[in-house]
Amino acid sequence: MLATRDLVAGYDERTVLDGLDLTLPADAFTVIVGPNACGKSTLLRTLARLLTPRRGTVLLDGTAIRDLPTREVARRLGVLPQSPLVPEGVTVADLVGRGRQPYQRWWRQWSAQDAEAVDRAMTLADVAGLADRPVDTLSGGQRQRVWIAMTLAQDTEALLLDEPTTFLDLAHQVEVLDLLHRLRADRGRTVVAVLHDLNQAARYADHLIAMRAGRVVATGPPREILTAELVRDVFGLDCVVVPCPVTGAPLVVPGRTSPSPAPSPGAAAPSAGPSTAAPVPVADPSAGPGSSAGSVPVAGSAGSAPKGPAAPATRNATDDADRPHVGPYPKGH
Amino acid sequence: MGGLPGRALVRVGPVSLQVRRRAVLVALASTVLLAAAAVLSLSLGTPYVAPADVLRALSGAGTPYDLVVLDLRLPRLVLAAVAGATFGLAGTLIQSVARNPIASPDVVGITQGAGLAATVAITTGAAAVLVAPAALLGGLVAALLLLALGARHGLAAQRFVLAGVAVAFALRALTEVVLLSADPIDGLRAQIWLIGTLAGKGWTETWWIVGTLVALLPVLAWAGWALNATALDDDTARGVGLRPVARRIGLAATGVLLAAAVTAQVGAVDFVALVAPQLARRLVRAERPPLVCAALVGALLLVLADLAGRRLFAPTQLPAGVLTAAIGGPYLMFLLVRGRRRSA
Repeated sequence: MLATRDLVAGYDERTVLDGLDLTLPADAFTVIVGPNACGKSTLLRTLARLLTPRRGTVLLDGTAIRDLPTREVARRLGVLPQSPLVPEGVTVADLVGRGRQPYQRWWRQWSAQDAEAVDRAMTLADVAGLADRPVDTLSGGQRQRVWIAMTLAQDTEALLLDEPTTFLDLAHQVEVLDLLHRLRADRGRTVVAVLHDLNQAARYADHLIAMRAGRVVATGPPREILTAELVRDVFGLDCVVVPCPVTGAPLVVPGRTSPSPAPSPGAAAPSAGPSTAAPVPVADPSAGPGSSAGSVPVAGSAGSAPKGPAAPATRNATDDADRPHVGPYPKGH
Repeated sequence: MGGLPGRALVRVGPVSLQVRRRAVLVALASTVLLAAAAVLSLSLGTPYVAPADVLRALSGAGTPYDLVVLDLRLPRLVLAAVAGATFGLAGTLIQSVARNPIASPDVVGITQGAGLAATVAITTGAAAVLVAPAALLGGLVAALLLLALGARHGLAAQRFVLAGVAVAFALRALTEVVLLSADPIDGLRAQIWLIGTLAGKGWTETWWIVGTLVALLPVLAWAGWALNATALDDDTARGVGLRPVARRIGLAATGVLLAAAVTAQVGAVDFVALVAPQLARRLVRAERPPLVCAALVGALLLVLADLAGRRLFAPTQLPAGVLTAAIGGPYLMFLLVRGRRRSA
């Protein structure tokens, strides 16, 4: 439903996106990944018409988004910016109610549909119990759910979110991503999110967009495109990609990117080292099972430095199938 | 169908308005207080008129006090109420756009623009009837300067306040220059204007302010609703289908128009526009000052300030501007001491 044609966008003198042609699949959870300053947030903001492109167009169901009244766009496209300003003293229900703005006028400030939509959104985002609390007294995870509820109250077919999991602890990250997954799976919404965590992206996305330096490097289902080569191309990071023990989705385990000055004693596996760890593309099925069960990273906790790059690579998929209860796979919701 | 927590729903045919319950209570309470202050203001003075006689005079029964109550005191009282309410509205609009409780017409330069123009008009010996139009023009020119300086980044809150403070300082300096080079008698008259007083003013000034309010009534009805969105940041506001920059410019323009109109009539009565919205906001416990309550609180403040100015050191009359400044200064200190939580 969303697409870009020859999109050029940036800030002041700096061009961030240079000639982007992209189609975002409808009824899918699309995740945009890439290193810092690669233009993923710029892309999301341009898609959401928060940033006016210098050239090219964003198409919403085939119509240029800039030709549509902003109010109409807001009924079809919800957007959650990266770190929205929390108004002081506004209650949760009040803030969620502002998601109904595109349906309201100053002489028609509230309707039965508004009330229903707000109730539904608060229930869906699990903030109904907080309705009377001021938003600025809530924890980070609760706040994020409130903001998501506000965009849900907009009742849009599509939802764009800029790093919805940043600043949240792991449990809250999973909570938010599960919610987005449910929106896609149960309600057929189109969800587009910028995520920093490659493993979460791989786990939750139906469609992955990998960007680097304002260009799209690869697009497609994570299982098809997320390889060690791609991670090296996009992030300049040597890594190993293995099937996730819980979901079978690709799991990115960083290798050592540079010779560390002082390796902690006993941490280095015999084969460790940037040159040897790097070329391993996908899990090696011939590797012996169960060799180091204790060091298997829990799904979703990417980014932590591995003790030795070789160890997780020795796990294989069949072994993983025997350990199903590390965490819930979102497909089960 | 329920409204949001703390809000009541007012439905008249196709119109449905969200009203904060606390705002209704605060509005009722301040109306009662305003009425009481009005009766007090009409009865106190020389001669003293008993409140019962005041009410009888107001009802048109014909009393020996008609001259004092209806012709001498009432015009000034109504002007105080109308001007105070307008200051409250202007302050609410400007503070909400600036997202800053310290921003008000007398901080961002509107009052100083009006003051400079009025000073020039008075000291150059222009006809007395020209002072108010000159002040109005001065206030609007200052507002244009402010909007031009502040508009570059979509009238962002910080920039708006800084630009306003710069405009205010520059205009105040120019006013000093004009005052120093003026004839002492004219200079004194200008200084009284600059402090702001209601003495000797009445129906004419009131009608000018009321006319402006009536002309802006549709805009104010919209503003009461549009102000809700000023608490959201620009990206979030755009996300829900608003045009935050256009909205801010519209609200700010309405605010400065009101501020210039009222300052032109009563002079630079400081701090009512600063204090009334914040007082109303705290009473209603909302995230931004509510328009109607701020207007009522502003009216109450100026009526009380004018009454105190008349009676405190009688027979010496203090200009209302001195009294409002005496309230506003400590209030500003209170805001600063309390720690600047980002608000309004």
